[in-house]
Amino acid sequence: MNQMAPGGEYGVERLGALVEPDRVHRSVYADPAIFELEMERVFGRAWIYVGHESEIPKKGDFKLSLVGRQQVIMVRAPDMRAHVLFNRCAHKGARLHTEPLGNTGNSLRCPYHGWSFRCDGSLLAVPEPQAYAGTAFDKDDPNFSIRRLPRQQSYRGFMFASLAEDGPDLDTFLGGVKLSLDNFCDRSPLGEVEVAGGVQRVMQRSNWKMFFENLHDTNHPMVTHQSSFLAAREQHAAKADGEPMPFKLHLIDGNGEPYEFWDRLGLVGYEYGHGYMTAIFNAPQDVAWKKYAASLEAAHGAEKARKILQTNLHNTIVYPSCSPHTGFQQLRVIRPVSVDRTMVEIYTFRLKGAPDEMLQRAITYANVVNSPASVVMPDDVEVYARCQEGLAEDGGDWVSQHRYVGEEKKTGEGWLARGLSEFPMRNQFRVWRRYMTGEI
Amino acid sequence: MDTLLQRQHEIEQFLFHEARLLDEQRWDEWLDLFEPEGMYWAPLVRGQDDALNHASLLWEDATLREVRVRRLGQRTAWSQQPASHTAHLVGNVILEHDGDPLVVRSTFHVTEWNRRGQRLLAGAYTHRLRRAAVGFKIMLKRVDLINCAAVHDNLEVFI
Repeated sequence: MNQMAPGGEYGVERLGALVEPDRVHRSVYADPAIFELEMERVFGRAWIYVGHESEIPKKGDFKLSLVGRQQVIMVRAPDMRAHVLFNRCAHKGARLHTEPLGNTGNSLRCPYHGWSFRCDGSLLAVPEPQAYAGTAFDKDDPNFSIRRLPRQQSYRGFMFASLAEDGPDLDTFLGGVKLSLDNFCDRSPLGEVEVAGGVQRVMQRSNWKMFFENLHDTNHPMVTHQSSFLAAREQHAAKADGEPMPFKLHLIDGNGEPYEFWDRLGLVGYEYGHGYMTAIFNAPQDVAWKKYAASLEAAHGAEKARKILQTNLHNTIVYPSCSPHTGFQQLRVIRPVSVDRTMVEIYTFRLKGAPDEMLQRAITYANVVNSPASVVMPDDVEVYARCQEGLAEDGGDWVSQHRYVGEEKKTGEGWLARGLSEFPMRNQFRVWRRYMTGEI
Repeated sequence: MDTLLQRQHEIEQFLFHEARLLDEQRWDEWLDLFEPEGMYWAPLVRGQDDALNHASLLWEDATLREVRVRRLGQRTAWSQQPASHTAHLVGNVILEHDGDPLVVRSTFHVTEWNRRGQRLLAGAYTHRLRRAAVGFKIMLKRVDLINCAAVHDNLEVFI
């Protein structure tokens, strides 16, 4: 497809004009040239979630990941430091590892000519080194080492990296959304979480921004998810015999709440496009939950434990790479593949020190709501694809984001909007525009 | 020998019948093949032995299977317009354990077509079967996709 808006190259002015305060031009979703620029200006600048440190607990452990379209390897060095490196040999570019997770021992050894590197990327040895005598080859020259990502930093175990040398530090970048990552960890009696229970992966036939917008799109559940919430309700009505609705059906049924319900929620947004939605679904207060709450109280005291559990944030957005869900211990990782393909990875986490039932509940949530075989998700994925198809064609150039425009309130670090507002989309595009025009 | 051949034949006919019910979208008849407490399971990783502490692609009891069927029957199942069509091919049927339950391993190819195109799913089934008044009832149908750990398009119909 050619560039959609007339006028040749995308200069700063033209890019800026694609985002207005209450609408965006369809080319931001559909034009491959915009996607190419995003790889450089958004994913080449922002802090991107790489992985969780618990995925590489031992010396030599590695995990492959993506920063934009760059494949990276997060590896645990003998001194237990984690490093994020480009997953390619400094000699001829061969991928060093191809298993998604593994252990590399004390070094990374290329399978082609046997160059080996330390876990921080520096060149350790090459075979027959005398052959380089008198040449420009220099073992200590960083050009002969695996390149590290310019910046990498962990926040309570969540490892982020940036392809940019400069820009806001991770703390500034995360800003108010640290509340979500803190609450995620604080929900553990030991104050730590770890990846557990595998990773599900889904390919969506749509632009990555569709997924981020939908995370806080409160105007879609009652329409998009009608098939699944009606199915859950019919099932319960036919089989319940007066029993309360089981957890697994409750998760599906919740999307059928009326508009008034969603409007009462708070939508919080922050400077770099992040945000969260204040609580929707509370975990059932069953036996397992009481056991868990008791373990949290024992660790933190009643007052702090109550505060931790009251901080119930649904679908947090860490723009543009991931979405934690603290209450159900999920983390979805969003990887742009092309202008109309997005991969989403679904991780579940164990709250260290909490009863096993808490992980089992998270697994149920992942299987029922987030899995590629979920009965809920296919209709999301379908409507994103329909938007993607439609926006690539003629029939109107602008996407409306007018709902409750301008009614959001400034609150300290961020903004707060009412539940049915399209503020989250506007906030994401506000920061998208800043990235794309070089302000960040 | 006659008994063994007969049993092999009975089991194969049961698996072929099950495959046919899925291909013809006779969901209610398929649901009836299960014991009330029977499970339908598609693990997420090779050799997975735990469905409670590890995520799966599918881990469905009678309630969740019935919800899936009810959803497929909704006018607003947007991702099923048009609905998925499948062709199940089941072969290499081996009776692994001749007891109660019977454990049967087979190999499958499932070709699925829908709006998003045609794809081939392949792998191994393990059925744990209990003899019933007529035929068998399924205690567990385990679906080990060869690409279980891959990036998947939606899996909406029973494999």
